[in-house]
Amino acid sequence: MKLSLARYHSLLVIRFLRRLLAPADALLNRLYTWRFNPLYHSGAIVVLTFVLLLITGLYLVFFYRLGDPHASIVRISEQVWLGRWIRSLHRYASDAALVAAAIHAFRMFAQGRSWGPRVLAWVSGLVLVGLVLVLGWTGYVMVWDVQGMVLAREGARFLDALPLFSEPIGRAFVGERELPSAFFFLNLFLHVALPVGLGALLWLHVSRLARPGLLPPRGLLWGTTGILVALSILWPAPPGTPADLFQLPSRAPYDAFYAFWLPLTQGLPGAAAWVGVGIVGGIAVLAPWWSRPRAALRPPPSVVNQRLCTGCQQCYLDCPYEAIAMVDRTDGRNGIMARVNPALCVSCGICAGSCAPMGVGPPGRTGQDQLARVRDFVAARAPAPDDVVVVACTHGAGGVVEESTFDGAPVLAVDCAGSLHTSVVEYLVRSGAGGVLIVACPPRDCQNREGPKWLEQRLYHEREAELKDRVDRRRVFLAYADLGELGTVAAALERGRRDVARLERAGREADIVLDAECDLVAVRGMEGRGGRGGRDGPDGPQGRQRSQGPKRGQR
Amino acid sequence: MRRIGRWVGGAALALGATAALGWLSQVPYDATSEADGLVRLAWRTRGTRVEECRRLTAAELERLPVHMRQVELCEGRILPHRLVVVLDGRTVVDEAVYPSGARADRPLYVYHEFPVKPGWHELDIAFTRDPVPADTAGETERERLGERESAAPPRLTLVRRVLLARDQILLVTYDAAERRLMLKGSEAP
Repeated sequence: MKLSLARYHSLLVIRFLRRLLAPADALLNRLYTWRFNPLYHSGAIVVLTFVLLLITGLYLVFFYRLGDPHASIVRISEQVWLGRWIRSLHRYASDAALVAAAIHAFRMFAQGRSWGPRVLAWVSGLVLVGLVLVLGWTGYVMVWDVQGMVLAREGARFLDALPLFSEPIGRAFVGERELPSAFFFLNLFLHVALPVGLGALLWLHVSRLARPGLLPPRGLLWGTTGILVALSILWPAPPGTPADLFQLPSRAPYDAFYAFWLPLTQGLPGAAAWVGVGIVGGIAVLAPWWSRPRAALRPPPSVVNQRLCTGCQQCYLDCPYEAIAMVDRTDGRNGIMARVNPALCVSCGICAGSCAPMGVGPPGRTGQDQLARVRDFVAARAPAPDDVVVVACTHGAGGVVEESTFDGAPVLAVDCAGSLHTSVVEYLVRSGAGGVLIVACPPRDCQNREGPKWLEQRLYHEREAELKDRVDRRRVFLAYADLGELGTVAAALERGRRDVARLERAGREADIVLDAECDLVAVRGMEGRGGRGGRDGPDGPQGRQRSQGPKRGQR
Repeated sequence: MRRIGRWVGGAALALGATAALGWLSQVPYDATSEADGLVRLAWRTRGTRVEECRRLTAAELERLPVHMRQVELCEGRILPHRLVVVLDGRTVVDEAVYPSGARADRPLYVYHEFPVKPGWHELDIAFTRDPVPADTAGETERERLGERESAAPPRLTLVRRVLLARDQILLVTYDAAERRLMLKGSEAP
């Protein structure tokens, strides 16, 4: 059965955006490798910039004076030790935070990762971006230069359009009276207090993820920090001309990341600006609903086959979305079994690849379904001894799944490489294929977060459900390629063919029956438990109980 | 060779992105779009509250509980003002100014901005309270309590020839202590 990207991305615009993203990903993979591709780590870079903002902000707040804000900023820039650079770093880090957040949101949307159980992450992410914008706004008002004054006046104008205040707060900036220091105190309070809310929102944002990667890999972390520090030293951002309520702002430097809306709203009445914000915000917040596939095309959540579930906990450990819980059995047998929470399951299918007895997975994509599919695949075209069969992820792999062959090699599509059951690989090898090349997305860009990581461990590091020892590893190849990296797939195929050519001729077995082993595994698994718990004893794997069980991802 | 090319390409891209970040962080922009000077009218005044009273009829009193029987029933409101602004011989504002608040019991606010070119300008401003209806009491409880000075006079005017320099803002506001309109800030000599 041929799968295609269209199965998930019913909207043309999303397919278009995904295609737009592919060359950028491919270019940056080429330049920085997938391990350090900043586009893949955009979300983690946002968190890194938050950390930088927190450190630099704590330093700066000691020198800020409410009585004379602009003069204190000038003093920070000119007299405080490292003040100029630290203030610039604070500013550039805030800009980088917004850029990285925009890239992250764009990626999630373009990859169709905003709907279903991911709605919470999407909406909380948008609120985070809004909060960052407000934080930036208060930060610039703190400086009280020309830009700060303009932003303050525009903000007040918007707020006055709402029926909230008994007196228009915009009057504070007309020059009728001296600007009260209470205003700057309130502004400083917001600038310091809002990050607390930011932390809470960030927790909410990742709350449905198992093992969220909050910081980028070390190389990218130091690289990004180094670039921002270098920019602050080489091109420090000085405060602008002090604000004067009796002087028109005229030409001044503005931060395009936080003041981008000024040219759009300056001529508009406050109410019209709110309408604009409402429309844009509404479209963004409602994106999970208007961009999701039609109901009939939405992949169903995973289900557990009670008969086959041994309670081994591997699917529970591997699930990247914490959608699986281990509960007491309900089929009359002793022990525990897996249960999928459909409200949290994104139907990634990774559990299908983790289950040795093939007892869990989305309907139509369990290990047994995959075996049936590969049987048909082989029946339709038995692989030749010098053939390298390409097993490719539909989300990446250079898009080779669009055709049934790639460069003469038969192509078998799989929803996510992480959902691939190793018995499929075994079946292909035992069917006489010279080799099997599995092309997954780069681990940092997996549609389902952890697919390639678990796949690699199942193939080479005996992670449950591991590729059996009887399969000749010399015939199994693993490559990572994004949607725009067709060349990488071609190169990996070429390498695979060369390696296969050096091996003895592959033999074909008849009557390969792998799924019958499932029942055996299930029975043995339950016998080994002898009741409640895992295979190593009554308390589960390695003697640990469910409540104190192995930390997710450690096995 | 290919490795060196990747290094150079990676460094160039990082440098370009960093430079773009630095430049976009300090883009020169002119937030004033229309003119080189500004006349701003901004003030807040307490309006004059009037009360319209009538005596209840015997039948109406009869319908009320004994403890709520008041012979006279008064309803108050704050009188609106009319603002007329003539700038260089042209009437730029001629509008009624109503008290703010959902129940129209808050002060009156005036806020207008007129972009102008630098140079001399003729300014003629009149802020006139609507006349007190004959059958109302023009004195409020507050005024009776000694806050009479907070209400604006029935008519405020300002007629002045002013000089604006480039980028100057001239503020016309209300001086509550002297109960008159005044110019503030950067009035040119």
